[in-house]
Amino acid sequence: MALILPKIVFILGKGGVGRSTVSAALGMELARRGDRTLVFGWTVSDPINPWFGLPPAGLTPSELSARLSVGNYGLDQTLKLYFVEHLKLPRFYKHVINGVHVRRLIEAAPGIGELFFIGHLWWLSTLAGAEAGLHFDRIVVDAPATGHGASLFDLPAVLSSLQATGLLGVEAERVIGMMSDPMRTGAFVVSLPEELAAEETVELVPRLTQRMSRPPLGVFVNRSVTGTITSREEPGSPESLAAQLSPASRTHLDGVYGELQGRAGFERALCKVLQGTTRHGVLPLTEQLFGTRAHHPRDIVHSLATEIRAHLDGLA
Amino acid sequence: MTTRLHVLLGDGGVGKTTLAASYAFGLARRGGRVALLSVDPARRLQGALGLALTEDAVSVPGAANLHAAVLMPETTLRRWATAGLPSASERDRLLNNRFFRVIADRLGATTDVIAAVRVAEWIEQDPSLTDVVIDTAPGRSGIEFLLRPGALVALLQGRLVMWLRRLAGGASHAAEVEHSHGLSARVLRGLGHVAGIEMLVELAALVSVVEQPFHQVLSRLEQAEAWIRQASTRILLVTTIREDAVPAARVLRDALRHTRLAPTAVVVNQTLSTDLGLELVHVDESVLDAEALAVMQYVRGYLEIQSSVLADARALAPRLIAVPSLPGLDSDLRRDKLGELGERLCAALTNSGRDAASTDPG
Repeated sequence: MALILPKIVFILGKGGVGRSTVSAALGMELARRGDRTLVFGWTVSDPINPWFGLPPAGLTPSELSARLSVGNYGLDQTLKLYFVEHLKLPRFYKHVINGVHVRRLIEAAPGIGELFFIGHLWWLSTLAGAEAGLHFDRIVVDAPATGHGASLFDLPAVLSSLQATGLLGVEAERVIGMMSDPMRTGAFVVSLPEELAAEETVELVPRLTQRMSRPPLGVFVNRSVTGTITSREEPGSPESLAAQLSPASRTHLDGVYGELQGRAGFERALCKVLQGTTRHGVLPLTEQLFGTRAHHPRDIVHSLATEIRAHLDGLA
Repeated sequence: MTTRLHVLLGDGGVGKTTLAASYAFGLARRGGRVALLSVDPARRLQGALGLALTEDAVSVPGAANLHAAVLMPETTLRRWATAGLPSASERDRLLNNRFFRVIADRLGATTDVIAAVRVAEWIEQDPSLTDVVIDTAPGRSGIEFLLRPGALVALLQGRLVMWLRRLAGGASHAAEVEHSHGLSARVLRGLGHVAGIEMLVELAALVSVVEQPFHQVLSRLEQAEAWIRQASTRILLVTTIREDAVPAARVLRDALRHTRLAPTAVVVNQTLSTDLGLELVHVDESVLDAEALAVMQYVRGYLEIQSSVLADARALAPRLIAVPSLPGLDSDLRRDKLGELGERLCAALTNSGRDAASTDPG
């Protein structure tokens, strides 16, 4: 199936599966291909820029390398940008939105953060060029961990059920239009060959398909082991290595190897279950520790970007 | 007697749920009456315990005084909201309110508030509890559990809610909002501009319907906020052997510090024996097949990351506890192993020493 890459690519998945590394790697590869790319996250503090020796990115994107920028969402700054810069209502912002009573509502009410996150993505992909000189061909969204990440895709339905009018009504219509357009938004899921992550992916894919009325773009299986770990009958770790160790260390090695074998099993099962459920299928990214490379996150991003390049070339 | 709160925080996939389960086992084995609540919407506690869990506490086999429950936000919220409403028509008004439906049905972000209130409710119903262990949602959302109660109390006791209640009071108040120049009218008109006046009226209706259940929820929230901040509360920052483990844990520690809370200990999960690493240095690589070579490099890389994680994690909390990995537990063995690990965790937390030698991998 021909490669489809919408303008905004969401990277979703359970916490700890490597969403930020995969987002950074995909961003790096898209920039290399010539797209002005933004990797936009929603974390307490942006992890990506510090991997490359730069201060953490804020709401205003900062350049990491040629054509590649990183930004990180914060509700307070986004509210200010929206009301002051975009709507040109500085006094309204100062006296109503930023007043103590409404601030309390904003801090306590659920879902406001999600709404402005998506709203800001809409702005970044449309008006940010004209209003702020920010031009991006692609936005890779390092979404929050699954629970909240998937709830981003519930937002359009929530908004229409609230039947908001006023400014919120306008926002709702824009967001709904954006999220339902396959050329403007799409999602990759990141998974791991591990029991809980694999289970969660198997639940997430149909849920996303239903919410978005189209299947996700694909599933990246990070830290893939099936290319290296063989499926074998006899128990115990590879004899050529185990034979050189003391009995105690041999037991520890058996533990590690058993876990790797378990991961290989989950990976094979995951590939089988996910067959045909996404547009571009399962895209494995090899376990980094099998190599002798340095294990700095920066090196991991570079090496994942190379693997992603091969996958995208294969799909094109 | 006060109940001690134990909150496990950490990024996804670091093993919070399993550690929470074993820690609760450990506390119960040491004679406590323990409640274990999983806030994780992924509901993973059941797998770790090999037990079907519900919103109501169930007794966990293998430990005399351990009860576990999983948070089901929708069910719990409906139960609370309707409990204080005697008439069917009031219940209908609430259950059909647009805001209430959205809050109840959709947004996972309400989980943290409900968890806080649920903990308070649990302690209220079972005052003999000595310990409550809370397995939070991953990363940022886990922090919300500690922060949101305070934010919500501030909102509910604030003037905005009072104004909204007046707005729901009738047409004359709505007219007042249109024409008055007071602060309340300005703020309400402003909100109406943002969300539409109909939506504001609907929000006001919600506030007025929940008047009764609201009082109970508010007092429980205040109680939860007080518990979180009592001196005996233990906050365990859980991390694992991963390249970015320490920076990620540091971000959580800083977010805590921002609200004048601090982790009691940092728990480094899934550590491996360093003796194995020492032996690998002397391995003759020329006889290894491709798979064996890859496995050896894997272990070396893992131990390299482990030593830098252990070195850097020490700065995050007054105590560091290293926990060995427990691979491939089947469910029969599981509860026993969990209890054993839990007892070691408890011991490490009460030891006077800075580090927990008993669980250190070497």
